[in-house]
Amino acid sequence: MISIDNVSKHYGSFQVLADCTTQVSKGEVIVVCGPSGSGKSTLIKCVNGLEPFQKGEITVNGVSVGDPKTNLSKLRSHVGMVFQNFELFPHMSIIDNLRIAQLKVLGRGMDEATEKGFKLLDRVGLRVQAEKYPGQLSGGQQQRVAIARALAMDPICMLFDEPTSALDPEMVNEVLDVMTELAKEGMTMMCVTHEMGFARRVANRVIFMDQGRIVEDDSKDAFFEHARSERAQQFLAKILHH
Amino acid sequence: MYELYEFDWSSIPGALPFLWQGMVVSLEITFVAVVFGIVWGTALAIMRLSSVTPLSWFAAGYVNLFRSVPLVMVLLWFFLIIPHLLESLLGFPRGTDMRLGSAIAGFALFEAAYYSEIIRAGIQSVPKGQMAAANALGMNYRQAMQRVVLPQAFRNMVPLLLTQGIILFQDTSLVYVSALADFFGAAYKVGDRDGRLVEMLLFAGAVYFVICFAASQWVRHFQKKLKTA
Repeated sequence: MISIDNVSKHYGSFQVLADCTTQVSKGEVIVVCGPSGSGKSTLIKCVNGLEPFQKGEITVNGVSVGDPKTNLSKLRSHVGMVFQNFELFPHMSIIDNLRIAQLKVLGRGMDEATEKGFKLLDRVGLRVQAEKYPGQLSGGQQQRVAIARALAMDPICMLFDEPTSALDPEMVNEVLDVMTELAKEGMTMMCVTHEMGFARRVANRVIFMDQGRIVEDDSKDAFFEHARSERAQQFLAKILHH
Repeated sequence: MYELYEFDWSSIPGALPFLWQGMVVSLEITFVAVVFGIVWGTALAIMRLSSVTPLSWFAAGYVNLFRSVPLVMVLLWFFLIIPHLLESLLGFPRGTDMRLGSAIAGFALFEAAYYSEIIRAGIQSVPKGQMAAANALGMNYRQAMQRVVLPQAFRNMVPLLLTQGIILFQDTSLVYVSALADFFGAAYKVGDRDGRLVEMLLFAGAVYFVICFAASQWVRHFQKKLKTA
């Protein structure tokens, strides 16, 4: 589904990504973790071409992201992405947030887009908020809407960029629950997150990054039980102790 | 010994219809220049922020040029040069009165430079993540700008755009250099004719003050409403 092959990226002389290689198969849930500044967010943004990269190749469903001939908008329209800061459109109602790209990008009709929107709001438990504006919702609710907005495009895979980092602690679980459910339904997911509980419960594989490199890329059990690199062991020791 | 100046306001009532005609001209210039200034200013702002270097250079050059020359000079260029150009290029009959058209064109092109700076700041005030989120949903640059970024930018900018409109309304008085009878020009003509220049200019000043002060109070009120909405 997603293939990342020897990808490197640098800002000037600063190396953000160095020879990253990994694959994500259909239905797999991958958690990407690592200390801040390790390049994990950058890597996930390269997958749908929001961040350009200088070397290597990324393909999604066989389509090359880095190829200038690729229609990036078309590729992105079926790769869902959820951001750390939700990024709902504040000038539109919740239901309009769910409709806009269906109407303008997929060319769906108003009725179909509305029906789909309501169905997904139902699914994340927010149907009653449909006519409100993003600013009137809590962070956790906004992030659930953002997930629903991405799902409205019928994505073939979902990218999550620290979806719970900006949330108050008591709202983290409502978002993780939606993600867990999605994973159980077989959605292909790549999640940048520090939620190790989520990784333990849901992930198939864990990728650990440090200084722009993929240091560990292993099954969940192997990662948690015997991480090979010292850096990953230190990271786990810190993050699991609280 | 000083003789105290004796005010004589009697020439005002009779001149009101003529002054009103002048006011219509002033408002007409303001309205058209604001609309064109915002449209062209938006285009300039988008060019300026574009990653296509020639476009952003052109926009930067345009804005810097118009912001570095006096408005009255731009208006004179338009009064003196453009009519000649049109006459020779498009075969307009000699002596066609193009003063109003020239004034509007001059104001619109001049104000667009100021509007583009306001609009550029407005676009930059929208968080970068909004463009990214729109792109991630498959919207192209134009769709993302039109549906997501510009509506938010304009919402933030409305008070500034209106304030610039009020400034523009005051600046329309500069068309007197072309002897075009806008409100100020009309007042001047009447005052000159009746030998009551002082009264007419005081009266005109009072009218400008009342209109502009009321408008800026309304903008303030509107701004508060926008904030609470």
